[in-house]
Amino acid sequence: MTTPTPAVAVPAEPATGDAVPPRRGAPAPATRRRSARRSPLRAQRRAGWLLLAPALAHVAFWIAIPVVAALALSFTDYTVLRPPRWIGLDNYVEILGDEVFRQATWHTVVYTFFTVPVAMAVAVVFAVLLNQRLLGRAFYRAAMFLPHVTATVAISMVWLWMFNPQYGVLNAALSFLGLPTQVWLSDPDLALWSVILVGIWQGIGIKMLIYLAALQNLDQSLYEAASIDGASKVQQFFRITLPLLKPATFFVFVVSIIGAFQVFELIYVLTDGGPANATTMMTYEVYRSAFEDFRMGLASAQSVVLFACLLILTLLSRRLTRSHDE
Amino acid sequence: MTAATAPANAAPAPSRESLVVRRILTKLGLHIVLLFSALTMLVPFLWMVLTSVKSPTELLQFPPTFWPEEWVWDNYAKALDAAPFVTYFRNSLFISIGHTAMNVVLASMAGYALARLPIRGREVAFIFIIAMMMIPTYTKIVPQFLIVKFMPLFGGNDIFGQGGSGWLNTWWALIIPGGLTPFAIFLFRQFYLTLPSELEEAARIDGLGEVRIYAQVYTPLIKPAIATVALLTFQDSWNNFLWPLIVTTRDDLRVIQVGLAVFQQQENTQWHYLMAGTTLATVPMVLLFLVAQRYFIQGFTNTGIK
Amino acid sequence: MRNRSHRGRVGPGPLAATAAALALVLAGCGSGDGGDDGGEFSGELTLLTPIYEGSDGQRLLEEEILPAFYEQYPDLKVSVDYTTYGNLNEKLTTAVASGLVPDLMMMGVGWVEAFAANGVLANLTELGVTTESLNEVYNPAIVQGGVVDGSVYALPVMLDTRFGCVRSDILADAGYDEPPSNLEELREYARELTVRNDDGTLERAGFDMLSMDLRQMYEVFLFANGGSLFTEDLSAPAFNSPEGVEALQFLVDLIHTDRVEDIGFSSTDAEVHPLLNGRAAMGVCHNNLWVSLQEAAPELADQIQPFLITGTQPGMFFGGTLVTVSANSDKQEAALALAQHLTSAEASLLANEQRGNVPARTDLLDSDYVQSNPLVQFAMENLQYAQREGGPPQWLEIRGDFAPAVEAALLGEKSAQQALDDLAAAATEAMSR
Repeated sequence: MTTPTPAVAVPAEPATGDAVPPRRGAPAPATRRRSARRSPLRAQRRAGWLLLAPALAHVAFWIAIPVVAALALSFTDYTVLRPPRWIGLDNYVEILGDEVFRQATWHTVVYTFFTVPVAMAVAVVFAVLLNQRLLGRAFYRAAMFLPHVTATVAISMVWLWMFNPQYGVLNAALSFLGLPTQVWLSDPDLALWSVILVGIWQGIGIKMLIYLAALQNLDQSLYEAASIDGASKVQQFFRITLPLLKPATFFVFVVSIIGAFQVFELIYVLTDGGPANATTMMTYEVYRSAFEDFRMGLASAQSVVLFACLLILTLLSRRLTRSHDE
Repeated sequence: MTAATAPANAAPAPSRESLVVRRILTKLGLHIVLLFSALTMLVPFLWMVLTSVKSPTELLQFPPTFWPEEWVWDNYAKALDAAPFVTYFRNSLFISIGHTAMNVVLASMAGYALARLPIRGREVAFIFIIAMMMIPTYTKIVPQFLIVKFMPLFGGNDIFGQGGSGWLNTWWALIIPGGLTPFAIFLFRQFYLTLPSELEEAARIDGLGEVRIYAQVYTPLIKPAIATVALLTFQDSWNNFLWPLIVTTRDDLRVIQVGLAVFQQQENTQWHYLMAGTTLATVPMVLLFLVAQRYFIQGFTNTGIK
Repeated sequence: MRNRSHRGRVGPGPLAATAAALALVLAGCGSGDGGDDGGEFSGELTLLTPIYEGSDGQRLLEEEILPAFYEQYPDLKVSVDYTTYGNLNEKLTTAVASGLVPDLMMMGVGWVEAFAANGVLANLTELGVTTESLNEVYNPAIVQGGVVDGSVYALPVMLDTRFGCVRSDILADAGYDEPPSNLEELREYARELTVRNDDGTLERAGFDMLSMDLRQMYEVFLFANGGSLFTEDLSAPAFNSPEGVEALQFLVDLIHTDRVEDIGFSSTDAEVHPLLNGRAAMGVCHNNLWVSLQEAAPELADQIQPFLITGTQPGMFFGGTLVTVSANSDKQEAALALAQHLTSAEASLLANEQRGNVPARTDLLDSDYVQSNPLVQFAMENLQYAQREGGPPQWLEIRGDFAPAVEAALLGEKSAQQALDDLAAAATEAMSR
């Protein structure tokens, strides 16, 4: 799971060999299937648009228009207080030369690089473990998910206490192990890693939940067949579970990257981007530009840069994974 | 510690007893790992709950106490008095239910279309949906506010959206804009993708329309995904704060997180009340999770089909 | 710009031009109908406020302060939009962007310049409020917090002040009868009062400077050392003057040379001020430390003693909450009447009492509330030394960069000179935009 291999399966049962007959019968008798006369493609297309249209319209109206607005504003010096003035690429030039935004971009990349794969790996293992019949399963599941439940603001505050250099739990653990204590969030070299730790901790729950849901759709007969063949559970995990989870993994990967690139509340509550900008992130800079400095134009340009980074990453991972299912 | 998704099964067994011993040891080890992980996840909450029943005097102590010397349950009563939480709770509940219902219906429709129906431009539409997750809230919020404010023919606005306040201070603004997330569309698409296509072919032979195939054949098969989307949507809007604050000016339309912000004044945070309030706000979400997680049971979907 | 998304639906058009036109149209439309010619007012006034939040504040405003206003103006109704300082900017931003600006807005010291300079706020001097009349009620330095280019745009309701505090019991134990009277004494006392255990772990900071926002903490020392944030005519930054650099260097030395506090020992997020649990002997504090004290450690009431951090002059910092009237409002005179009511002696006393803040009005010094709160009383008695933040309209763009700059110096990443020079360069650039 450390190298997420997102994949989108074609709308068919993933190839699993002929040895295993498809177990999911339709409400109709299974013998009928291949002989089906396809309903006219047009009817399917019409239904497709019918089903897609409301969502597409909603997204276009409530998100795409604001996104286009942001793009337009990124070429202006809009401050909210003053009407916007067209300034061409000035905002982008400023971003290029802005040391703090460069740092923010780097921190964002580091944060994403470490939180996403680690949290994904832990999440998929726990999802599989907690998918079996087990005493106290609901409790374990709830415990893993709990970090995601509480509003980030409140939970970040609890972490502030845990990181507290004088009496925080973390330093207590370090001195128990005989290691030197740390000032965590106040140490410019350690602050980002402290934030990453919280990011991982908080990110596991939702990823586990999605994997857990995805596991319910896997074909059990494959496992039965595999264990008859003598495959160990570890082998089953790598040979059956992970490949079958590809659509879910693609989803979790893309969504986690997008989420990690937009990490905000954690920074807002834990560090305010400090010490001395050591933990500032792209979205935090967007927030500062827009709502502390009132420079909406610059904030829009910063968001466009963020948007471009994410779009490239997503298209890349889509390109890489599409090839082997189409 | 190994993964075990399949029901218990027979390995090439050496002897019956050593097998039993091994299984017990494996289970034990599994529980130790799980218990340790669960505790790691729970410690912050434990701290939150314990803090919520400490007195300000006790919070002052150094080094701080872990276990409260005196359990000040009164903090909860006082926290609830600090803001009109009954109203806030009701509002949060309405908004969360509205968002959840809308999202499950609209996003599953869209996800199904993107996954299973051969519409032209499907890939473009799909990338478009993903791309719409990529702009931070803080960039969208002002334009979204303006759309709400200039909503034509509402709140005294004319057809061009001028003259009134649009959807501001209405339930429309609280529910409609946040009622559909690209996240949910994407998630549903991925789940519909994993289902076999034999089903639709058979259903078509039986003369089912495409929309009924979506609603009656495929959707019942992805109950875990529905539970996931419902849970996450509910919880996101439960914890949402900024949007309800911005599009309303009346206190009777505000939500629970706005109430919690009262405890964090600029120079003085009332930790005991904040933690009491947050604990209370978290309890419904934990209950909701415990209900939703029942849908994640091995074989649930399979029995649904057979 | 008013609304590009809106235009996106209505029809295309050159972006900036239509937006500006739209802005004018909307400004003309205002937020409602009706109007008044002074005297008797009627209709609804809208008020956006980051204070009076929570049930207590709301009760105070709606059951005590506003009813008194209605007695005078029975035909007016005030509709209140409560927020907190944490989200005030988001509320202000969306309000101004949409043209739906509340008739009255309460905001902090340092906000007024930007909003006034861009025509968002009504010029109260044109409505008859003069600096001279205000100077009779308030300290002139405080009046200036609401004055831009010689005109009044905001009236002060309450002040937040920051100054030095000591634990007199801890000082007495070390043989000091009085708080330090100058910076050298401060350094000497702080060194003496610092306690470390055998392995060097700090147990008590001699002087705590990390529990407060670093910008505001630094400003106290900047003012005490005779420096100022900007030049007299507000045209250029002045905090990187020799006085400013020296003030920052003093703080850097306190940490690195004198080691009276360690980085990470306390922070703005600390749930307890270290003075209250004896983890610090002295420090920079905010007047509402008294509120925390009353709640958590009333037995310390006689032990917390305020003092003026004094270099070449006594330094005290004030921020605060002011009330403004929107330039868009079609009921400016009624709004002004409400603003004056909110800043009246009775109403502002109640508001300050609820939050433990410092009343801006000089005549409230003798009130029971001020007399019963030593920190507030101290602040009021020394308001002549208080200086504020802000000045140029771009202050809001500059102030966010302060804390990282001060922090960089305290961490030793940059020299005091370098940190302030870099900050000044950024400020100069902002001011030239």
